[in-house]
Amino acid sequence: MNMKWKNPLGSMLRHSKPGKAATLVLGTALILTACGGNAGEDRAEADGSKPAEQAQDAGQKGGADANAETVEALYAKAKQEGKLIVYSTSGRANDAAETFMKQYPEIKVEVSKVKSDEMMDKVTKEQDAGQFNPDVIITKEVSGAVEEEMVKPGRYIKYLPEDLAPMVDEPYRTQAEGYANYLEFRTVFYNTEHYKTAPITNWWDLTTPEYKGKVYTADPLSSPAFMDLFTTMVVNSEDMAAAYKEKFGKDIELHGTENAGYEFIRQLFANGLIVLKGSDDVLDAIGKADSDAIGLAVSGDVSKVEEKGWSILPIYDIKPKTSVPDSGYLFLANKAPHEAAGKLFIRWMMGEKDGQGEGMNPFNEVGSWVPRSDVKTKNEISFEQLNLWNYDGEALYFASPKVRDFWIKQK
Amino acid sequence: MLHRPALHAWQTRWLNRCRNALRNPLNLIGAAALLFLAYTIVWPVLHMIYTTLVWRTQDARLTAAADPGHLTFYHWQRVLASDISWSLFYKPVVNALSVGLSVSVVSMVLGCGLAWLVTRTDIPFKKTITFLAIIPYLLPSWMLSQAWLTFFKNSKIGGTPGILQSLLHVAPPDWISYGYVPIVMTLSIHDSVYFFLLVGAALSSMNSQLEEAAEMVGAGRLQVLRRIVFPLVLPSVLSGFILIFTKAVSSYGVPALLGTPVNFYMISTMLYSSMRSRLTTEASVLSLTLMLISIGAIYLNQRLIGRRRSYVTVSGKGSAVTHTSLGRWKLPAAAATVISMVIVAVVPLLVLLLQTFLLKDGSFSAANLTLHYWLGGSDPSINTGEKGVLQNPIFLLALKNSLVIAGIASVIAAVMGLLFGYVVARGKNSAMGRLVDQLSFFPYFIPGISLAAIYITMFAKPVLFIPALYGTITIIILITVVKELPFTVKAGGASLMQIGNELEEAAVLGGASWFTRFRRLLLPLSRKSLLSAFILVFIGAMKEMELIIMLVTPRTETLTTLTFYYVEKGYEQLTNVVLMIIIAIVVTVYLLAVKFGKADLTKGIGGQ
Repeated sequence: MNMKWKNPLGSMLRHSKPGKAATLVLGTALILTACGGNAGEDRAEADGSKPAEQAQDAGQKGGADANAETVEALYAKAKQEGKLIVYSTSGRANDAAETFMKQYPEIKVEVSKVKSDEMMDKVTKEQDAGQFNPDVIITKEVSGAVEEEMVKPGRYIKYLPEDLAPMVDEPYRTQAEGYANYLEFRTVFYNTEHYKTAPITNWWDLTTPEYKGKVYTADPLSSPAFMDLFTTMVVNSEDMAAAYKEKFGKDIELHGTENAGYEFIRQLFANGLIVLKGSDDVLDAIGKADSDAIGLAVSGDVSKVEEKGWSILPIYDIKPKTSVPDSGYLFLANKAPHEAAGKLFIRWMMGEKDGQGEGMNPFNEVGSWVPRSDVKTKNEISFEQLNLWNYDGEALYFASPKVRDFWIKQK
Repeated sequence: MLHRPALHAWQTRWLNRCRNALRNPLNLIGAAALLFLAYTIVWPVLHMIYTTLVWRTQDARLTAAADPGHLTFYHWQRVLASDISWSLFYKPVVNALSVGLSVSVVSMVLGCGLAWLVTRTDIPFKKTITFLAIIPYLLPSWMLSQAWLTFFKNSKIGGTPGILQSLLHVAPPDWISYGYVPIVMTLSIHDSVYFFLLVGAALSSMNSQLEEAAEMVGAGRLQVLRRIVFPLVLPSVLSGFILIFTKAVSSYGVPALLGTPVNFYMISTMLYSSMRSRLTTEASVLSLTLMLISIGAIYLNQRLIGRRRSYVTVSGKGSAVTHTSLGRWKLPAAAATVISMVIVAVVPLLVLLLQTFLLKDGSFSAANLTLHYWLGGSDPSINTGEKGVLQNPIFLLALKNSLVIAGIASVIAAVMGLLFGYVVARGKNSAMGRLVDQLSFFPYFIPGISLAAIYITMFAKPVLFIPALYGTITIIILITVVKELPFTVKAGGASLMQIGNELEEAAVLGGASWFTRFRRLLLPLSRKSLLSAFILVFIGAMKEMELIIMLVTPRTETLTTLTFYYVEKGYEQLTNVVLMIIIAIVVTVYLLAVKFGKADLTKGIGGQ
């Protein structure tokens, strides 16, 4: 690739007829091609047929015979495949890949990091063009869109090894769209220098005068996972109404809103909610110096406390429910070109049969939970004890644009 | 056909005209430019327009009336005339327009003032000032906004108090801390280098005799500036204006950080939200409205330039640059310029550099100094065992990819900008010239992610003679070139407008072919603008992230995609190490380009 140091005009100028100008400019595309040589050498064959339809079959088939495979059989096949490609929203995949390659040195793992929503576009466009690049998908939900637009049409395929399934907690064993290797959630954080114990126990506490102008949140408009929490409150508005009654001793009065969920958002704004860009900004705001303010951030951020010098703790028990899970799902991609290696890698990240495997370590952190009954959490409270709403992808998918509109209108 | 009729006079004329048109290289380049723009820009835009006019399956989320595959105006009506339009569209549009205009004006004052000082006066330290002017653009724009917050934030967003507040014990009002004012200030500081380079290139090629003549007939210094200098650099100033305007209007990082605490949203932040929430059609409508605004702005621009006759500053006659003497203001002016530039550019850079050597951020004791983040191996007690950047297994691959992408893309982009600019400048009164001018401006308004997503579809399979580019570095180079066209074409056009036609005519008489003319005449004379384009595209490509994140595959990781992982994990020092490496590369390339490209902005044309 020494081309960039050459005067690019050098070759052009040898031609003298003006008529060639056109060919040259047009030919730029071709010149470009010359530098990108090793394009499609190990790409899955492109056959341009309707991927969605076939995927459905593949998904059903994959579900059946995939589960009977042993680690040894997978490894034998994977060795022939030689490599695997992972699209991941989380850097944890890189950590798992490193240990995986020590365990299975014949297989090279390549990880691409993409945000969940961009990954949906990328994979959809690739598959529609007949390119099947990734083998393993590690993704978060985007307000139910992953389930509706990727899992149901068979672009992402659920894979749960049969021998591991009995140890997996619900909803991830049978009910959810796929197996999640870890989950975190949005909850209220407080400053440990200012408060000895959790200052609130009920979501409606945030709307009281005591917290006027003292509640921070990351912007749900740029972070769908935060919007999912509010949308879940709207979807489960009876829970919110009940919690209101428990807190204030009377039935909730709606001020022009549709239900208790929307009313909560309205009152939050009326109480001077301060919106910051991201979760880190919220924790900076309440955790860098002594503060009586509280804020909504991601539970997984507790693992960064040391790095960032925050004095904060998350609250794991809020009424009516603490939060809604934000799961890091593991899927096989449709027509994965290195399917056996992909399956082997998923097993590795799940911690293998005994739940002790090294591949699980990056996922089993403070602030995150691994939904396996045989894996010990690093948190004080276990996954079963967490009081979370169910993540209803389909309901969120259809309700979230409306909640987003409502949020925008509050401004 | 027994009686083939003789050609009528009008037919002969028409044929001749065709022959002439084909013989004119301007038309050929113009046609090629239009073909390129049609495929890489117009087609994606048409695709976007189409998607805003049909129902998609996903629209069932928005309304029960959705009827997949059929035409609808629902999406436009939702954005422009529904009960959320005010918050979703009109307020953000007003905010965006006011930020865009203000940033353009402030950067014009900063950039032109600096350019004038460096090129037309006898101020000392010219090279230093020119070099310093580029540094703010090297820093990511969020860093400047972070710096603003460090100084001016009040207790509204909590955390450690701002420096101003701890010193004066008075909280700055919200309007200084957040929203419109800081957004305008940080964007202006960050982007005024565009003005500086564009106008600087124009000013340095301007013949001083014009000014001297005016002074001789008794014009005051201000009058000379207003009546002689300003009109002549008008194309560059207007190009800079439009460019900065569009950059400001479509910027995301700065408004997101500084605007959200006071609910100050711009179209760009709303657009980002639509994308993240998977309301892609809404995002398309929003970016199309941005495009309409830009077309309006460019139309005004063309009206302003089109009316004037000539901007020629480079003619066949010899030119000499005499520098205006600043007199006793010479040293104070130099000191003030250098000091203020050091404060906005060098200090943040040094703080960042220092940070990469601190084991724990904020503690400056000798024991805390370390090279771990650069060279260190895995140590479980630091960053949960993450190795130093130079030890990262994919560092070399990422470095190579970044250099290849930025190197090739910036050279191609600069030359292409000059060729397209040739069509714009020489054809400024023809439809073709105007079309190339307008179309090349669109890429600023197509969100990087949307453009990249469309490119996957367009280049995943071979089409005609274009092979499947997806998954190669070529497509990343291509999209970088396309995305920077607005700047490179403006720079090329503005610089060529200043080169007199008579030079080319003389060369034609001397029997020079178009290529000889281009190589021997136009290329050397527009060297400075070419260099500016090269260096800014190079910087842009080294920093680019959003655009290429969709298109990278593990084989095409770049330095910036490497930081994606560090940022997510909160490894600040490691992120800064990568940033430092990027900055070091850019500085080296800049110095090499200035030395070997003989395009020192501080000197007159031809390096005199």
